[in-house]
Amino acid sequence: MMTGMWALYAREVKRFQKIFLDTVFSPLVTIGLYLSVFGVVAGDRVIGNLPYLAFVYVGLLSMMLINSSFSNPSFALIIAKNVGSIIDLQLVPIRNWQIGIAYALAALARGIITLSIAVVVTIWFIPLHGIAHPFLLILAIGLTGIEFGMLGVTFGFWAKNFESLTFMTTFVMQPMIFLAGVFYPVATLPHPWGIVSQFNPIHHNINFIRYAVTGYSDGTPWISIIVVGGLTLVIFAVMNFVTRRNLQIS
Amino acid sequence: MYSLEIKNVTKKFVTAKKELLVAVNDVSFAIEQGKIHGLLGPNGAGKSTLIGMISAMQAADKGVIEVEGIDVGARPTDVKKMLGVVPQEIVVEMPFTVEEVLYYYAGMYGVPERERGERIREVLTELDLIGKLKDRARNLSGGMKRRLMIAKAIVHKPKFLILDEPTAGVDVSLRQKIWALVRRLNAEGTTILFTTHYLEEAEQLCESITLIDHGRVIKNGKLKDIQQEFSKNVIHFELFDRAVAHMAGVIEVGSDYEFPMTDLGDDLARLTTYYKGNIKSIRSESASLEQIFLKLTNSPNV
Repeated sequence: MMTGMWALYAREVKRFQKIFLDTVFSPLVTIGLYLSVFGVVAGDRVIGNLPYLAFVYVGLLSMMLINSSFSNPSFALIIAKNVGSIIDLQLVPIRNWQIGIAYALAALARGIITLSIAVVVTIWFIPLHGIAHPFLLILAIGLTGIEFGMLGVTFGFWAKNFESLTFMTTFVMQPMIFLAGVFYPVATLPHPWGIVSQFNPIHHNINFIRYAVTGYSDGTPWISIIVVGGLTLVIFAVMNFVTRRNLQIS
Repeated sequence: MYSLEIKNVTKKFVTAKKELLVAVNDVSFAIEQGKIHGLLGPNGAGKSTLIGMISAMQAADKGVIEVEGIDVGARPTDVKKMLGVVPQEIVVEMPFTVEEVLYYYAGMYGVPERERGERIREVLTELDLIGKLKDRARNLSGGMKRRLMIAKAIVHKPKFLILDEPTAGVDVSLRQKIWALVRRLNAEGTTILFTTHYLEEAEQLCESITLIDHGRVIKNGKLKDIQQEFSKNVIHFELFDRAVAHMAGVIEVGSDYEFPMTDLGDDLARLTTYYKGNIKSIRSESASLEQIFLKLTNSPNV
């Protein structure tokens, strides 16, 4: 019943549009602050042939996409659990995987809108000239948005309350994002942190997007592409399992 | 043809204290198409668990539930399409207007986009909420939120409507409106399963009832038959002049007299002919649903 899934998707898009200031503009303020700081400290540094500011810029945009996609469904679901409106999802004739995908697509939509506004506002200050691999960029953004949207759905259903969700965001997601090579190439990290970072899945999302935009890659780009694609499938399966467990009261 | 058939359904839970609770125990009953059926029982009897299983929110441990001939366990999504459910708790989607709530909810039930506007207006007019179309749902009063919950349940024109205490905490006027709506939907062919704590409400609306207690069905059938079964089957009467010879079978109970009833019409005719103008008052006694309920459940609360 695809109409139902699209109606749920449309509702979730409408939800973040209703609180645009919080969902879209607050990440813009964050990225603006980061860029002003890095703009000052970066100077003329380059990484490979890439100006450091351009390197960080793509990393920050990736971080913004990941955060927006993750938080959109996770917070919507935890609020629904708190106010009791989760019962709507239990009653409507939409299959569990479709519920998850509807939320994940809405998360991707929020990520893309936030990203687009951020690029329009900030690109003028960044030494970037063109996109190295446009089709790969579409794939990278699509997969990353969906992947973290589905992860947000998984944690939104899994978390019992705001505290457990905030714990996940603060103590797991944020450290992983910050250690994923947003601000520096992981290859420059001392042993063994360089190798450890390769096992951080978020590193591959950021590297994939950065490679698509700039052509620069921290290691072999195809490894990142395969890891992101594979993880998207794994997270889909996990999301499906968690959604089914949580929507049907056992 | 039945709209709902519940066959030997059992549902167990493990409580927080790690004790096994049999919430629904081998329950069986059926509702004919186009009827209003009351599901009654004291708090904790298993009504909400049963509703959860009928609406495919919970899986039965044992037994089969069929809605319009479709097995809920095997095809939950198909069953959900036919159902409209008004849950007990009032919940509203925080940021949306009344129109948006219904627009997306109708969409989730597969109502095409072009039909949604008209359906929403029809339903809101019926429920006296049309003036609140553009208001935020969270700003509505309690009674209006309750009506919005009903609107959500009927906006997609369900074949089978489940109302879980829809009149709890509403004023008399709104209760009358909800009753009128229930009767109209039923007249249009919607089968309705109704739970309520107001037994006079069940007497007013329901043709048949199922009484459950401790997870078991303790009475099931047509309301009239059940009332008949629990009636004393006696005619009470008072006389102006008590110093008369009595008809055979009449016994004195305080200041009244009782006559065992076999057929109400015949027996009334016999008594009025025998006592002529001496009868001050006369009535047959039938049991109220409340009396039946209390008798069967031994419970002061419903």
